[in-house]
Amino acid sequence: MTMNQNTENFEQLRRLLKLKRYEQPPPGYFNDFSREIIARIKLGERGEDSAVIGRLLWEAPWLQRIWAAFEAKPVLAGAFGLAMCAFLISGVIYSENGDVQPVAFIPAGESIPNTVEVPNVVAENHPLLAKPVALEPSSTNPIPPLLVDGPLLRGLNLHAQPVSFTFPIRN
Amino acid sequence: MIMTEPASRKASKQPDEFSAGPASAPAPEEEVELVKRARKGDLAAYDDLVRRYQERIYATIYHMTSNHEDANDLAQEAFIKAFQALRSFKGGSSFYTWVYRIAVNKTINFLKQRKNKAHMSLDDLDFNAEHDPDLVALISDKTPRREVNLAELQEKLNAAMQKLSEPHRLVVTLHDVQGLSHEEIAKIMGCNIGTVRSRLFYARQQLQAYLSDYLQ
Repeated sequence: MTMNQNTENFEQLRRLLKLKRYEQPPPGYFNDFSREIIARIKLGERGEDSAVIGRLLWEAPWLQRIWAAFEAKPVLAGAFGLAMCAFLISGVIYSENGDVQPVAFIPAGESIPNTVEVPNVVAENHPLLAKPVALEPSSTNPIPPLLVDGPLLRGLNLHAQPVSFTFPIRN
Repeated sequence: MIMTEPASRKASKQPDEFSAGPASAPAPEEEVELVKRARKGDLAAYDDLVRRYQERIYATIYHMTSNHEDANDLAQEAFIKAFQALRSFKGGSSFYTWVYRIAVNKTINFLKQRKNKAHMSLDDLDFNAEHDPDLVALISDKTPRREVNLAELQEKLNAAMQKLSEPHRLVVTLHDVQGLSHEEIAKIMGCNIGTVRSRLFYARQQLQAYLSDYLQ
């Protein structure tokens, strides 16, 4: 049997399938169909927002208590809002006036040396170190690592970082 | 659920109006504009798009499930999903084809999940079915009680449709019931036209065998 013969035979079936086209949903069904979809979309959008807030509240019980207090006493919420505004404004004002030079508090009459000598800490003088520390500066880091081989600090690799100090000089 | 025909149904659409060929699709420019607005969150524009395609999408899902309630839920979910996914719609195909594909995928997934739990909840037959010459010719030889036989025929036809696999049922639904072209079906199903034709042929063969008692 060829496909063409079958196509002719299918004519009866196609007539029968026509019956499916007469199947109709209840009258007026499509009147509210799109409205329901739009309502569900709106509901979903609101649901997402409330879900985020709900999750936050669930994960932080203290936040839940604060939220409950704000809901019970709106005055409290207003006061909190005012406090936050005041805090923000004061923060802004402070940051604008924040370029203040550091001032050293030195008693009057005392002279300050131009340079300060920082005593070198020699590893061999340390009571915990049994052996002297190998101090080898590298090309990238002028301060060598402290290789410790003492009984208590065995295997520790102490890194020294360069520190610079600036001291106000009185003329 | 097949009931006597209410008077208000007499003015309902003729079956040929459900043929969803390209000619019945809205002007592309108009559709593109509506899609653009809907992508920006304009729900009025999306409402317009839904109204354009709601009957065809519902009908496709209904013919696939043979269940009004399932078709209602799935059609709504398909439109909601389409709205949520509008940002990913590149415009490579028409919105019509795209939303059809969403509805079809959703329906096939649903049918796979409900396997062996199918129950029919059929829509009523339109009043005009009794006067369709093709259907009258089919039933006139069998019995003088046409209404009962149309109802019986409807049940048998739906039961036979449910015996087909989802892809075969979909091809028969889109082509023989809804009147889509092979090209459109290929786009919706994401396969080539040859596959559509072969599936259609096989599905018709199957249906013919199932319904041999009702075919002359």
